[in-house]
Amino acid sequence: MKATFLSIFIGIVLMLSACSNSSTNSKEAANEAQEKSLTFLFNFPTSTLDPHQDDNSTTVRAGITETLVKLNEDLELEPWLASEWKAIDELTWSFTVQEGVLFQDGTTLDAEAVKQSFERGINVSESMKAALKLESISTDGNSVIFKTTQPLPAFPSELTHPHTSIVKVEDDEKLRTAPIGTGPFVVDTFDSEVKVELTKNTSYWNGEPKLDKVTFGFNSDANARAMALQSGEADIIYYLPSELATSLKSDKNIVVESVSSLRTHFISYNMNSSEVADENVRQALDSLFDREAVANDLMGGMAVPAGGPFNPDFPFSMKADPVKYDPSHAKKLLEEAGYKEDNGVMKKNGEPLQLEMITYQSRPELPLIAQMLQSNAKEIGVEINIKSVENIDEYLSTNEEWDIATYSNLTAPRGDVGYFLNSAYSLDGALNIGEINDPEINEILTELNKTTDVEKRNDVGKQVENMTQQKIYQSYIVHPMITVAMNKDVKNYSVSKQEYYLITNQLDVE
Amino acid sequence: MIRYLLSKIIQIIVVLLCLSFLSFVFIKLAPGDPVKAMLDIDEVLITEAEIEDIRSEMGFDQPIFVQYGMWLKQAIKLDFGESYLTNRPVLSEIQDRLQASLELMGGGMLVVILISIPLGVCSAVYQSKWIDHLGRIFSFFGASIPSFWLGLLLIYFFSVKLKVLPFIGNNGAESLILPSLTLGLAMSAVYARLLRAAMLETMNKPYIKALRMKGIREKSLIFKYSLRESMIPVVTMFGMSLGNLLAGAIVVEILFSWPGLGKMVVEAIMNRDYPLIQAYILLSGIFVMSINLIVDLSYYLLDPKLRRKEQRA
Repeated sequence: MKATFLSIFIGIVLMLSACSNSSTNSKEAANEAQEKSLTFLFNFPTSTLDPHQDDNSTTVRAGITETLVKLNEDLELEPWLASEWKAIDELTWSFTVQEGVLFQDGTTLDAEAVKQSFERGINVSESMKAALKLESISTDGNSVIFKTTQPLPAFPSELTHPHTSIVKVEDDEKLRTAPIGTGPFVVDTFDSEVKVELTKNTSYWNGEPKLDKVTFGFNSDANARAMALQSGEADIIYYLPSELATSLKSDKNIVVESVSSLRTHFISYNMNSSEVADENVRQALDSLFDREAVANDLMGGMAVPAGGPFNPDFPFSMKADPVKYDPSHAKKLLEEAGYKEDNGVMKKNGEPLQLEMITYQSRPELPLIAQMLQSNAKEIGVEINIKSVENIDEYLSTNEEWDIATYSNLTAPRGDVGYFLNSAYSLDGALNIGEINDPEINEILTELNKTTDVEKRNDVGKQVENMTQQKIYQSYIVHPMITVAMNKDVKNYSVSKQEYYLITNQLDVE
Repeated sequence: MIRYLLSKIIQIIVVLLCLSFLSFVFIKLAPGDPVKAMLDIDEVLITEAEIEDIRSEMGFDQPIFVQYGMWLKQAIKLDFGESYLTNRPVLSEIQDRLQASLELMGGGMLVVILISIPLGVCSAVYQSKWIDHLGRIFSFFGASIPSFWLGLLLIYFFSVKLKVLPFIGNNGAESLILPSLTLGLAMSAVYARLLRAAMLETMNKPYIKALRMKGIREKSLIFKYSLRESMIPVVTMFGMSLGNLLAGAIVVEILFSWPGLGKMVVEAIMNRDYPLIQAYILLSGIFVMSINLIVDLSYYLLDPKLRRKEQRA
């Protein structure tokens, strides 16, 4: 109570002082006019800047820390803090640390510092410990030698994950509020869940940053972000829903840009369901999705129809054309599966075809996709009941009584073909919600997991994709787009498919 | 008075124990898995076996009573464990956000006091006059506008159109104005009506009429006698609102990038960050019950009859 009265009192004083604040602010603004600054408003707030623990990858996004390997605009792996890497044997990788890179406190980035950063990372992050499967880390001159407990051909791609960012190892509290990395911007102040204020790193190894100051702010409400751009509180705002993008496009001072993301909205089928375990039924349902309509009508043009699990720009994407909406073909397939139309209802052995579809609200377009399938299926006499659940993973792993489920995933967040195919199709994969167990796929996945050569990996990956697509274990619907709106004075910013390196040394304002 | 206080405190402890146990059980029974969130299963290749290993490492395979016992043993020592997601002590996480929540709560309450007391008193004194009608219209809109919409309207008007007030984050006094208004306006509407009704009732009481006939000035009748008595229902509700304000300002916190407790707990629930949720429930329980205790005690200050009763007993 005491604290409350104190806050009320402080509130009064502060409100009164607010009146006089505006004049000082304008003076400060005049002083800062020579400095080039920019405010970037991101959608996910974070309460920590510790790159090994922050699930929102803020430090890499805001240009504070960097990773050994980076995903470039062509969605290929590119040397970054590591100038090169090679596999010594199937368990050992050697990464050469880039020459001439300094930490933001002026000390040199060397193999020892990289080793310490990794050791600390796997110590605090369960997910990195599980993903990297490291047996030991050692150094050899300017190289870091990683030994894994099992063959991990995707190891270089795993090192694009922001949790593997290289930081100067210090105490946890310092890492939480002001980590020292090698990126183009240095943390000035961090206001948990509100913003990070950054100043340029004049000794940045890849060229001096063009901006003097950057504010990397957070706001998870899309309307508020759009208004922040309109009011001048933000220069770039990340992630916009289609309806807001359309209204912002009409403002001549604002530029709106979109690019298809690495995410895929898809449908999973339950292999334990007697109905959808039939390949013909899955094929039929697959051709009942009107992917063009989902992209253009449901998502206002903010998505592209998907022809496979991966964004078509990846070198390992099988680049198939999206399946066309074809209800008569669907009906034919159902007839092949033994269903016959009876009074407008598809029946087998007198039983109508009724399916249970599970969806969830946290991605608003998914329930709409479910409804669209429901209505398209009804036209050919198939009944689909939709059930919306709060926690999809939990529901699907504890319930057997479902046939179809909507899902959404970043299918290749680190530019390797292996993550999604293993997660979704191997029997032990954490995302294999439909309990797919196909001996042919298992065999070829084993081969994929032994293949280190990138081109060969991509080819084997494509084979898996083709097999999964032929058997329709999942129906890939659309790749949603990332939409970014910015003030027209912003220079050298274009929306990138990789969502990690957002603030760069090239970013500028007029 | 002391006996009353002691019995209240014992009650509070019993209620808190029940609260902590029930919340512990319900959180554990609710669907969701913190291990999956910790392991980033939707971004990192993990096998089911690895998930199981960590689950047993964290003691999730133990019976629920054992888990609660372990938690309680630590909690008594004021050690609420560490957040699963950030590995920081839960108390530090809460402490970091408490200040922002209190500031917002203070701002909101200030708006409530500044609007509802004058409006409530004037509506009662000038019953059926224009100010009473105005108060009624204000209350009607205030109570029916959802706070996210009111917030967006305020942002649109003051930040986008007039460009006079900032709204993102906590950059000093100016940035407290819009969230406080959003939070306080809707509540003021309810308080103003409540105070008006209480004032009307009090002002019609025989002793006020008697005082008026004795020639006591109207001003003292209103402020010294009627307002004081009419504050009892208002203070009761104020106590309840404080609890709501501390936890329920989520929409406002999201809209204005305000790093408060409401937003923290929603995120904790999404990620099934049990230690954080559990500590939050317990601490809000303590907070709400202490406020109720203070409210009870404040009746003594507001109502002389209660004090006399106590002296007689």
